[in-house]
Amino acid sequence: MHEALCQSAIPMHEYSISSEIVKTVLGAAAENETRKVLSVQLEIGELALLNAEQVSFWIHELFKGTIAEGSKVKIKKVRARIRCGSCGYHGGMKSDRADSFQHLVPQSCPKCGSFQIKIEKGRECFLRRIQAVK
Amino acid sequence: MKIIKSRGPEIFDIELEKDLLAKNRSLAKENRKRFDDSKILAIDIMGSIGSGKTSLIKAILKNIAIGERAAVIAGDLTTTIDARRIEGEGARVIQVNTGKECHLDANLIRKSVKSLKLDGVKVLFIENVGNLICPGEFPLGAHKRLVVVSVTEGPYTVMKHPYIFKEADVIALNKIDLARAMKVSPSQLESDAREVNPDAPFIKINALKGTGIPRVIHALGLKSLL
Repeated sequence: MHEALCQSAIPMHEYSISSEIVKTVLGAAAENETRKVLSVQLEIGELALLNAEQVSFWIHELFKGTIAEGSKVKIKKVRARIRCGSCGYHGGMKSDRADSFQHLVPQSCPKCGSFQIKIEKGRECFLRRIQAVK
Repeated sequence: MKIIKSRGPEIFDIELEKDLLAKNRSLAKENRKRFDDSKILAIDIMGSIGSGKTSLIKAILKNIAIGERAAVIAGDLTTTIDARRIEGEGARVIQVNTGKECHLDANLIRKSVKSLKLDGVKVLFIENVGNLICPGEFPLGAHKRLVVVSVTEGPYTVMKHPYIFKEADVIALNKIDLARAMKVSPSQLESDAREVNPDAPFIKINALKGTGIPRVIHALGLKSLL
């Protein structure tokens, strides 16, 4: 017989990430005995499958009724960096094609066209710091 | 966490430096180690709703016929339909209901593996929630990731969701018998897939009839387990 595990949540992974951010922010604010959170600074990589606007929306929603209500949510976009295993190219992605997948999935080296590339940067979602009032 | 500087008498910056996606990645690594230690090959099956993930798993199980040496974690929002379908093939099955969440994550897999007896299990199939976007961001610790796409999803599925196809180790194009009726070109879908992922085998299948299933089994490296 099979068994069932249940997990309740709300759709879209932006929500789960945002809940985690809010939990961390409120935890750090309480630990430092702050009275109010003024701002939150995030960094989201351009290749992370996260929509910055949705993340910001959910954080604002989840902050309501807490000491972080009304706090500013600053999101910095982190440019992707790739390294090519064939020619040694190290840098950003670029493509001549408007309909290319390159904006979402860098598939080849912009210099030599090799598929042997490694994404070094651009898939992260960092909660850098918060600003709060003691 | 540390307080780095004061901006006047009352305002402080609190440095957190927390990578929100890192927790899932580290749990995925732990899952992988657990699978390796138990000598289990874990395969993450991803694809749209109705693409044929469950049918493919059933077809593979029927073909390899190793009974309870195969286990399946069936991810779904709320129902147990898939688990019941798979049980008929003799594998150990656990249903994971994500509630309203759009993907499985490494933590849910860790919990499922705890409740599933894995002794004697050689291969574990993890059927992800039907979705071509979110599962791509949440590795589970599987050794291989297979994406099922079906011709009934239309001609643009691969182009619209390049990320998940880039992540795949094997791509299966299902319902190949319906390609003409759907006016979908399998070779165009194959060349779209090749553009983002030149390495993954692209296998045309009909999961209900069993067409192409031996090739999928070979591509997943299941032969050596049998």
